[in-house]
Amino acid sequence: MSRVVRAAWRLGFAAARGPVGRPLSQAATGAAEGGGAAEGGGGGGGGGSGSREAVERLVRAHPVVVFMKGSPEQPLCGFSNAVVQILRLHGVEDYNAHDVLQDPDLRQGIKNYSNWPTIPQVYLNGEFVGGCDILLQMHQNGDLVEELKKLGIRSALLDAEKDQDKK
Amino acid sequence: RGFSSQSEGEARVSRILREKFPRASSIRVVDISGGCGAMYEIHIESEDFREKRTVQQHQMVNQALSEEIKSMHGLRIFTSTPK
Repeated sequence: MSRVVRAAWRLGFAAARGPVGRPLSQAATGAAEGGGAAEGGGGGGGGGSGSREAVERLVRAHPVVVFMKGSPEQPLCGFSNAVVQILRLHGVEDYNAHDVLQDPDLRQGIKNYSNWPTIPQVYLNGEFVGGCDILLQMHQNGDLVEELKKLGIRSALLDAEKDQDKK
Repeated sequence: RGFSSQSEGEARVSRILREKFPRASSIRVVDISGGCGAMYEIHIESEDFREKRTVQQHQMVNQALSEEIKSMHGLRIFTSTPK
């Protein structure tokens, strides 16, 4: 594809993001974000909120920590939304969610920390578990229920199954 | 994708994966950004993934495509091992 068209596509994305907080169509914002060029290169997270120490503190602050675009109340990306919905299905509503769109240093810092190029990122007990595709897989194959159990969280789906058995 | 030919981007990503995963039994790359090269879906089956956690398998694909990923908006990865 010609460089001009590709550049226009990137500009289109940048324009479509707009100010945070305004609901954007999920088709426009696309999904899990890519690495460097559109984001102004991949320099180190710099000091402050993107530093290794700062990110470490965030991922350890709660058994379930999610770095996403937007918030659980208003996800601004289809894949971030998928993570929120999956957690909700399991009855997990109490977790720390960080909107990387609000903090460019954190946005780059979290990618450096996990050595993973995309958002969203899910951490369970301080450990990087994966993005949306992996969480979906874990949900489908039952692993997520097990991992939540290890954290002392009882998945709501276990209770849902029980109700069905009773009937 | 039926009989339509591969896009340039799909062909390039496929080629890189074939080079980095010579043992792969199956590689499929689909441009899911409407041909703009902004987002790809990657399906790859290889012995290289055996006994590895999914996040590690995906990490291997990330490393293999680290240069390409810089110009992508996103990607989806589906890894598996041969039966």
